[in-house]
Amino acid sequence: MATASETGIITAHREGATKWWTRFLDPSERTLAALLLAPTALLLSLIIVYPVCRLVWTSFQNLSLTSGLPAEFAGLENYRLMIDDPVFWETTWNTVLITLITVPGALLVGLGLALMANMPFRLKWPVRLSLLIPWALPLSFAGLIFAWFFHSEYGVVNDVLRRVGIEGIIWFNSANWAFAAICLTIIWKTSSFMALIILAGLQTIPRSLYEAAEVDGAGRFRQFFEITLPLLKPAIVVALIFRTITALQTFDIPFTMTRGGPGTSTATLAMYIHQNTVDFLDLGYGSALAVVMFLLSMCVTFVYLRMIRAKG
Amino acid sequence: MNAEAPATQSLLSGKPLRLLIAFILVMNGMFPALWILFTSLKTEAELTVKPITWLPHAPTIANYLRAFTDQPLLLFLFNSFMVAILSTALTLFVSVLAAYALARLQLRARDLILSAIIAVSTFPLVTLLVPLFEIMRALGLLNTWVALILPYTVLSLPVCTLILVSFFEGIPRDLENSAMIDGCTRIGALFKVVVPLSAPGVFTAGILAFVNAWDEFLLALSFNSNPMLRTLPVGITLYQGEFAFPWPVISAALVVGIVPVAVLIVIFQERVVSGLTSGGIKG
Repeated sequence: MATASETGIITAHREGATKWWTRFLDPSERTLAALLLAPTALLLSLIIVYPVCRLVWTSFQNLSLTSGLPAEFAGLENYRLMIDDPVFWETTWNTVLITLITVPGALLVGLGLALMANMPFRLKWPVRLSLLIPWALPLSFAGLIFAWFFHSEYGVVNDVLRRVGIEGIIWFNSANWAFAAICLTIIWKTSSFMALIILAGLQTIPRSLYEAAEVDGAGRFRQFFEITLPLLKPAIVVALIFRTITALQTFDIPFTMTRGGPGTSTATLAMYIHQNTVDFLDLGYGSALAVVMFLLSMCVTFVYLRMIRAKG
Repeated sequence: MNAEAPATQSLLSGKPLRLLIAFILVMNGMFPALWILFTSLKTEAELTVKPITWLPHAPTIANYLRAFTDQPLLLFLFNSFMVAILSTALTLFVSVLAAYALARLQLRARDLILSAIIAVSTFPLVTLLVPLFEIMRALGLLNTWVALILPYTVLSLPVCTLILVSFFEGIPRDLENSAMIDGCTRIGALFKVVVPLSAPGVFTAGILAFVNAWDEFLLALSFNSNPMLRTLPVGITLYQGEFAFPWPVISAALVVGIVPVAVLIVIFQERVVSGLTSGGIKG
């Protein structure tokens, strides 16, 4: 709807823009796109792309800062060491186990929380807030708070157990109980994020579908399994994949609750990478461990991207 | 507790059930924070009484005073604030530019770039501990805020870009065009028209970036050996008491660390929820 006079102004503006600096301020579409994306590209190269290359390179090297020797090429030695390293297998197994327990656990608890939060409460904010607080709480804080919960003498968990007549458990002295405490904490911390995602999905399901199902005589359970769950699937898949990838990186909660103990029975792969890198300064071995974790999570990301593409 | 048989029917359908469910939800979300608040208000003597007490009998702020004097808690808070705010500002600046290019400009590789950004959002930063450690060491950035600000920016960049792309796409092009007719450059129109009109999106992205940075633990633990540069989560976790782990003081420090984020969440809850659920992100 440009009038003649407006077009005139634009042309005049264009003609005026011949000095080099004006051209810089008003560049062509392609130059502008390159300029705008440059900071992102720069940051991603510095923090992701270059480090990934360097990671793979270092994993083939003998590089320990404590020995003071310069890096030397070691081929697959770090990887061979890893295969013979029981702590590598234990921490990897712990990581996988934490993933297998806490991801479905958080999904189930999150689904329950979302179904409850979807009820027609008169006040919405207390419910919304109680789903947001666990999400916003730092993982390390959650670990510390729950370590205090599970304290053998003064913890609230053992207090409740004693009140119902069960002898208190010394949670952090036994590998299994410590592991259970860690998994419970992770499930509590992550389920409310799941609940928020699922709740958003629930709120997009039209009420008319349920009314129609009711007319057809479908009960509550059939409605849940044949309307609610199928329509929630896309939201759940996205939440599950992110949760899986973060579960593979589990560090903060075991670190703050048990430091990996007793022994290394609750240590995760991320904790072992951290220990080798920061405490032992064995960068070669730390890198080889990280490559394993990298491959694990790339598999999950690959599945994720394929699903997104399948959605269109 | 005393809902006996006669009340069962109304309990299962009406208002009491809703109240019960609301109570369960609120307790699930708030109890840990409430419990640590109660703990922080108890005297040391009360904390070692068995069986334990639930509500503090004689509330005291002694633990808070000790939390600030035993260790440089104020400094930890300052470090966390500065790292979180600076990385949020950087994230917003970088992602506004990228999002504008993705939302408005003709890009042949648009889908490829978006896929790459989503892939980065699932990237396990933990695996880059070694190379980032080496890079920061080589650049002399270990024991500086910058060593944390740069990775935190990358951590939040994908989700912020995705949120902003969807907001920018909702701004009518006409507004931008008329600003350009009035003599604005494209970049000028971006910052004078598009960004202000997308303020809710920019806010949402900013809050998510802030919370991500405020919560991060592993890199903050690994890239700083100087206790004076610790962020709050690291400072509190590595708190050393004279004998055992000083739980009363820790509780007070935790409450101090929870308050800033809790305030943000209370004020901006609706925006945070919309930001979290608009695209899947890390949790």
